[in-house]
Amino acid sequence: MGLWSSFLTSLGIIKRKVNILLVGLDNAGKSTIINGLKVSAVPQTEVVPTVGFNVETFSTQHRLTFTVFDMSGQGKYRDLWEYYYPDVEAIVFVIDASDKIRACVARDELETMLQNKVLRDRKIPILFFANKMDVEGGMSPSECSGALGLEEIKDRNWTICATNGITGQGVGVGLDWLAEELKY
Amino acid sequence: MSLKRDDESDQSLYANLDKSTVLQEARVFNETPINARKCRATLTKILYLIYQSERLQTKEATETFFSITKLFQSQDIPLRQAVYLLIKELSTVAEDVIMVTASLSKDLTAKSEISKANAIRALCKITDASMIQGIERFLKQAIVDKNHAISSAALVSSLHLFGNSKDVVRRWANEVQESVNSKGGITQYHALGLLYQIRQHDRMAVIKLVQSLSRGTLRSPLAYCMLVRYTAKIMDEEEGNRAMYESLEGWLRHRNEMVVYEAARAICNMRDVTPKELFPAVSALQLMLVFAAIRTLNKLALSNPASVAPCNLDMENLITDTNRSIATYAITTLLKTGNEASVDRLMKQITGFMSEISDDFKIIVVDAIRSLCLKFPAKQGVMINFLSNILRDEGGYEFKRSIVEAIFDIIYHIPEAKEYALSHLCEFIEDCEFTKLAVRILHLLGVEGPKSATPSKFIRYIYNRIILENATVKAAAVSAMGHFAVEVPELRERIRVLLTRALDDNDDEVRDRETFSWPTLENGLVNYLAHPELQRAPFDIAAIPTVTRCVAAPGSADAQRAYAAAMEKIPELAMLGDIFKSSKPVELTESETEYVVSFNCRNTINDVVLENVSVAMTVEATTTSSQPTCHWREPWRPSTRIRCPRNIYVVYKRNSNVTPVATFGNTLKFVVKDCDPATGEADEEGYEDEYLLEDLELTTADYIQPTFVSDFGRTWEQVGQQHEMVEAFELSAITSVKDAVTKIIDILGMEACDGSYSVKDKATTHTLLLAGMFVGGIGALVRCRMAYDASSGVTLEIACRCEDPEVCERIVNSIV
Repeated sequence: MGLWSSFLTSLGIIKRKVNILLVGLDNAGKSTIINGLKVSAVPQTEVVPTVGFNVETFSTQHRLTFTVFDMSGQGKYRDLWEYYYPDVEAIVFVIDASDKIRACVARDELETMLQNKVLRDRKIPILFFANKMDVEGGMSPSECSGALGLEEIKDRNWTICATNGITGQGVGVGLDWLAEELKY
Repeated sequence: MSLKRDDESDQSLYANLDKSTVLQEARVFNETPINARKCRATLTKILYLIYQSERLQTKEATETFFSITKLFQSQDIPLRQAVYLLIKELSTVAEDVIMVTASLSKDLTAKSEISKANAIRALCKITDASMIQGIERFLKQAIVDKNHAISSAALVSSLHLFGNSKDVVRRWANEVQESVNSKGGITQYHALGLLYQIRQHDRMAVIKLVQSLSRGTLRSPLAYCMLVRYTAKIMDEEEGNRAMYESLEGWLRHRNEMVVYEAARAICNMRDVTPKELFPAVSALQLMLVFAAIRTLNKLALSNPASVAPCNLDMENLITDTNRSIATYAITTLLKTGNEASVDRLMKQITGFMSEISDDFKIIVVDAIRSLCLKFPAKQGVMINFLSNILRDEGGYEFKRSIVEAIFDIIYHIPEAKEYALSHLCEFIEDCEFTKLAVRILHLLGVEGPKSATPSKFIRYIYNRIILENATVKAAAVSAMGHFAVEVPELRERIRVLLTRALDDNDDEVRDRETFSWPTLENGLVNYLAHPELQRAPFDIAAIPTVTRCVAAPGSADAQRAYAAAMEKIPELAMLGDIFKSSKPVELTESETEYVVSFNCRNTINDVVLENVSVAMTVEATTTSSQPTCHWREPWRPSTRIRCPRNIYVVYKRNSNVTPVATFGNTLKFVVKDCDPATGEADEEGYEDEYLLEDLELTTADYIQPTFVSDFGRTWEQVGQQHEMVEAFELSAITSVKDAVTKIIDILGMEACDGSYSVKDKATTHTLLLAGMFVGGIGALVRCRMAYDASSGVTLEIACRCEDPEVCERIVNSIV
């Protein structure tokens, strides 16, 4: 980024671009959350499982432009997340709060991710979304945090928000936190 | 774009690119925000390297692939297109390329039309058979897209996918059908191609497709060309179907020249095309007379010279065409269609530019001359001169080979030209760089040379080869000398001297051949001396009638000759006279009134010596009451050599004028003695053993010698109807006419005349003409008319004409 543009950015005339990695198990609701954030997008009634990944760009009121790499959560693609660790400034991890059974799978994936060499060196913030709050009998954010052992993450900033991907409820709160984290 | 600089700076940008530096540069893809211009330049460099066939390792490719996936965040369209290109290139090398499926499908739904077509191509490249269902929806949509670029991209991609996932693509037939009717020319063309692929195996569907389209809904000339080809293919598969000829003829009047040519070519290539059908096609080609047209005419001239003849006047003008390829075709076509008078003039013209055309075209000219020679034997002098002239010119192996083959043909078919042509060949091998050709020519010299008027003049050329050439040629030359020695007694002594000189050649192969030709030579000499009455006439081994039909033993003709020679040596057999016929599968030979049964025995067990081997033959079944009696038996000479084949002969006597059909049961009797593997010495004691051999059948065919009749029809009439016998058979076990022909020839042992041996694959009717000579010199002619029907098999009507009614009956009945 050139001097001129960083000058403009600091003045808030152009927005800073931030890369974010969006991960989580399959069927956690990642693509749905992103669809809700897109300004122009027509609400989609049906979301097909992502094959590989998708890139979406949208801006918020925080003087930031988010470029989100929406990764596929299917088992065979989870290995491919790590290719994107070096270039992102934050990670969003979506948890399916209604799926207690696979919470342990999510925990495994999270641990694998945190142990990745690249991420151990880069103390980038992680935002957890406890998604599908609209489904009855789901876990609460604190239960999720317990199930995934989030308390053990001590070396980086993280937070967990309760969200509903379909309505977009709670997503804004999480992004506000993220914007605050990435301010500087 | 930055690439559009002059050549020099282009050089500096892309010359000396190093793979690892460029891949390092690829880090630019990971920057935020993305610098589209820089990334594009790097992508171009990587593409350049790949197109220069630089190979990326799987790991490198995968890393590069994942870094370019990050470029999907940029909305820059040129950059996106470059990304597609690289994805396509990497799709075969990198792992997990399926990763970009979602991103590419997203691009397909995007509003921008420009990159959609590229996205489709990239998407199909990365998709494997298991994932195709996922993108089916997008492709179906794209096929019917209004934008021609997009729909044809989708169609071509589907064509590629068709190879792996036929079933899925078949489901798109409706969409494809719709796009055949679209307005875009190129889309029509691609859609037609895909539709044909989909329906390929359903013949009725293809016919329907072609018929519906030939009514003229297509616009694209390319699509029309495809249609013409499909039509031609259908007509080719269904022999005799002329229903579609009319549409082909209609296309001859198409606006577009390409379609006209394609249709004309299809007509010219039709099977069994009649001059009447050819006429419109030839006149259409005549109007064009471009390269392709004249090539087609040239091909047509081979089969239907008369139909091409009307174009001769136009082609005359093309002889001086500046395009030498056109001129070559024009001349060769004229040669094929022209009359004898024009040959000289044309030959002169060809000689003029022979040096200006490439080898491929020279071969075409040579082929034309070869067929011309056979057509006008009177002109052979000019032709051979021409051929030998170009034989001396520079040229590749294929070219030389075609010349030599042409000369061979002339030698075989035009006896007057033989001497002259042989001497030209002799001169050619004096300076021939192709071993293969030299060997072939030497062999021919060996076969044909001794028959010429002055065989001695060839000896010098052949002996020169022995002295000067490499081992292979030397060996061939020695063999040729051997032929001369055997067949020309006057030269024998002199050749013996020459060959003795070559005996101390330092090459094994040559020496082997040398020692091989010695026994043959000696054999001939011994024979020559042993038969004083023969000395009056020059000894000629070819005088012993040998049938060169395939014998089961390797080297059939040689083996046959060896038999004859071996039998000559046994005085008892020699007394029987010339061999009438050697039967093919079991070496069973009969002579005037006796049969000589020769068994080839070979001891295949190591460490065992067989002694006193004899064959006991018993007649098991015969048609006549007068049993053939065993007449003479050749004893087996005790053998101590392992694996050395020996012959056992058994002679049977047949009462004159009786030709019984019989089956012989054979038993091999021998004494086995163990022998010491180390010393090879046999034990004193042995034990007797027997071995049951296959039965031997003596059939009517063994009494018939195949003879060749040049004009079957006339001979047939000459014999006349009064000696005819007709019988009809139903051969339900035989499933095709072709089989029937082979079987009948096999059963009767006669020669097929007038090319009636060759049967078309799916023919339902056929007439087979056979000629042969029965024992006692009775000529017999057979006409077999066959009809094939799936329900009843082959129905055969066999008519035999022969002066001896008994023979007639025998032949007709032998079919049963």
